[in-house]
Amino acid sequence: MMILGLVVAAILGVAYVQWKMDNPSVPRFGVASAAAVAGAAVTPIAMGQCGFAAEATGVDNLLAFGLMAVGAWLALIGVHALFDRADGRIKESSQMTGEIRGSGYRMGWWVPWLLLSPTLIILVVFLYYPAVKTFTLSTQLTRLGAPKSVEVCFGNFSELLITDPVKLVAYPLIALAAIYGAKLWITRSAPGTWSRRGADVASVAAMLSVFVAMYAMFSPGGGGQVAYRPVYINTIIISVGIVALGMAGGMAIAYLAFRNLRGGGIYRTLLIWPYAISPAVAGVLFFMIFDPTAGIFTHGLESWFGIDVPNYREHAVLAMAAIILASAWKILGYNILFYLAGLQTVPLEQIEAAIIDGASSWQRFRTIVLPAVSPITFFLLVTNLTYAFFEVYATIDFMTKGAPAGKTSVAIYEIIRVGVNSGDLGRGAAQSVLLFIAVIAVTLWQFRTSGSRVTYGGA
Amino acid sequence: MKYRLLALLAVISLIAAACGSGDADTTTTAVSGGDDGGTADVIDIDFWVAFSDEARLGFAEDAATAFNANHSDYNIKVTSFASYNDAFDAAVLAVDSGEPPALIHFFEAATRQALDAVDEAGNPIFKSVTEAIGGRSEILGEPVVLDDVVSAARNYYTVDGSFYSMPWNTSSTVMFNNMDILNEAGITEPPATWADVEAACEAIAALPDGPSGCITWPNHSWFVEQSMGQVGELLANADNGRSGRATEVYLESDGMLDYLNWWKSLSDAGYYTYTGLQRDWDGTSNAYIAGEVAMLIYSSSDTTFFDENTDFTNVASFMPRNGDVPYVGNLIGGATIWMLDGMDSATEDGALAFMNFFSNPENAAAWHQLTGYIPITQAAVDLLEAEGWYEESPNSKVASDQLAAAANTPASLGALLGNFVGIRDIITIAIEDILVNDLDVATRIAAANEEANKSLSEYEQLFGG
Repeated sequence: MMILGLVVAAILGVAYVQWKMDNPSVPRFGVASAAAVAGAAVTPIAMGQCGFAAEATGVDNLLAFGLMAVGAWLALIGVHALFDRADGRIKESSQMTGEIRGSGYRMGWWVPWLLLSPTLIILVVFLYYPAVKTFTLSTQLTRLGAPKSVEVCFGNFSELLITDPVKLVAYPLIALAAIYGAKLWITRSAPGTWSRRGADVASVAAMLSVFVAMYAMFSPGGGGQVAYRPVYINTIIISVGIVALGMAGGMAIAYLAFRNLRGGGIYRTLLIWPYAISPAVAGVLFFMIFDPTAGIFTHGLESWFGIDVPNYREHAVLAMAAIILASAWKILGYNILFYLAGLQTVPLEQIEAAIIDGASSWQRFRTIVLPAVSPITFFLLVTNLTYAFFEVYATIDFMTKGAPAGKTSVAIYEIIRVGVNSGDLGRGAAQSVLLFIAVIAVTLWQFRTSGSRVTYGGA
Repeated sequence: MKYRLLALLAVISLIAAACGSGDADTTTTAVSGGDDGGTADVIDIDFWVAFSDEARLGFAEDAATAFNANHSDYNIKVTSFASYNDAFDAAVLAVDSGEPPALIHFFEAATRQALDAVDEAGNPIFKSVTEAIGGRSEILGEPVVLDDVVSAARNYYTVDGSFYSMPWNTSSTVMFNNMDILNEAGITEPPATWADVEAACEAIAALPDGPSGCITWPNHSWFVEQSMGQVGELLANADNGRSGRATEVYLESDGMLDYLNWWKSLSDAGYYTYTGLQRDWDGTSNAYIAGEVAMLIYSSSDTTFFDENTDFTNVASFMPRNGDVPYVGNLIGGATIWMLDGMDSATEDGALAFMNFFSNPENAAAWHQLTGYIPITQAAVDLLEAEGWYEESPNSKVASDQLAAAANTPASLGALLGNFVGIRDIITIAIEDILVNDLDVATRIAAANEEANKSLSEYEQLFGG
């Protein structure tokens, strides 16, 4: 089976050169297919071909092929860059070294490396080595202090997924087809027509279908599988909630605080404070506010208005809302800070012109201010999403511990619960790898979609 | 303005980065030795404590200072950790990096895990305290108290005939009763059985100005384990992992189903108040102190705290049991001090001397009075009796009495189980699911049983045989 994968990789290498590159030639076909084969062979060899072993399931085969495909693809990207350089499309060296040379310094090839070495060492020690270690751990059954570990191949991953390999391939393909279909529709329809509006709706639906497809790919649990669907849903709801509330709230407050007020500097400084608080403290604060026995909020509502507030930790919706509120509040200061800085770049002449033209304040906000701060919005989208994915552990641990019955347990909370608290390093590592892939995918997607709509002024 | 704001932004980012990365997990308190000048001959002994509250950590620090004052050639250094797991993980890593502590404070549920832990070369990390003492009656002038440890703790921590670790904080489950509310409802004695609890709750619910709830306890697996001990039901095979390694758990036993069904029925009737958090010691304790419940099933470790912080008549009683089944016995909870293997004999003797000093009658009695953990040696019990402590605070005697009433069977000793911490989580998650989502007890616990057995068999794959 591995040989089959390698043959396919070799053919793909040739096809890639034929269709994606400008100067196809026989030697280049050879180099590309050799690189593709080598790239595809890395993971199965490193893992001892366990994904194709006799006892491997269809899902294991699929994951093994998937890794081979990724390896081949990365190798081909490298080959592509190499050929482009050979064709002189990319300058031989970066501009920086050229400038230094131009200004009279003579230096060996090793000088840039020497200057870079502190950063590289830090990256290797604190980033690349742990990352590689995480990948190795994710294929093992292992615990801290254990005398041995057991290789489980893709077991830690496949138990999070549904068991039918055909569906696992079909769902993402359907979502992908929906996206490309919607794109095609948009290009074929003229702006302003009903057809275009339909296409716009379809493209939103297609994006949502990606989330639905992923939902369908995760295991609902039972039969020895881990119920990962609820974790996925919780992560989506809580992350989207935090980012939406945090950014909309941050923008709204920043816009209000930006006006010329007496003592505005004091307000602006005070508004930034929540950012200096750690997620754990935010969790404790909101725990104290909403706690059913000792909370100020609950106590106040009960004693002043006679409203009997239910325990938020026993109701999924309330518990999620409380987590979103606490986490969004904590990131609010950060967003306000950046929006305040961003608002200073809004061109005043345009605002004045708009006022003279009789634009309402909402129109001015929507058509001038929002596009002007779009680089900030894009930056905040990435950082807020990273925060929502990675930093909410402490808040959740203090407020709900995943209650009620796992309804507020998001991906990062599960990773720490499984990997650290229960000591199951392999499963924890596998879930981290999953989150790692998700973050990369979301970031790439953001760069492709939001990135194109961001205006950095000027042109 | 623009630049000022940017400068502010930069400063705040830096501060936040510093706050974010400075995970203050551990704090080290260097306790100064007997003579301040001489450092050359002083042997440092690191003692890692999994308490971070002022009272309990402070007790350990004070004892270390006292010991250092008597033994000028030793310096006990107390380091605090946020939890038992943090301390243990740090110790395992410290062994591999060659800088392990001498003593570490670790909890009862992970006894199997501590015995199984090995370093990179495959040698056990910990050394049996009994073996290290080797029959000596005093070490560096400190009388050995290990032989005097009360039987409940001795039996729990004796594995394969050897008493491995030195008990420190040891408690049992007791019920605290707000007698003001109970008396008002016409109940004169603390409820002893499940039926008594239900009757009391019914009477309290009928009170016109009664509390909103009736009873609470943390959703912690320890209470489940206590309940299994009470009815003599094993939690795992191989005599609860005491005649061999446990390879299977019995979460679907009759005792378990009875207990969870009773718990759920109390919850459904509105008598049991669930705070909504697993292992919620603070929330349940607050509910009792605030008078929102009349009864609290809790650890005896906080007996003194409740005596001092309740403004009603607070009476401790045995943990209520199933009256339809003969009583077997409650078990202990708490933690012991484990000694690391591979120290030179001078360091090891210092560590042993400190452990025995730490639990000498005066210290053990003071520890009991400070908290409510049981006095760990018979000598400490005698000392407290001579002082008249129990007449003064009868609540403090309940836990010891309950443990004395227990039969010495594998069921009432509690289980020694691999990956017990993970299995405890599986149990509490299932209970939360049952209470909050109104699920069928038998179905949900069957799923938990399957999950726990998978977890245990994976542990045995790594550590067993």
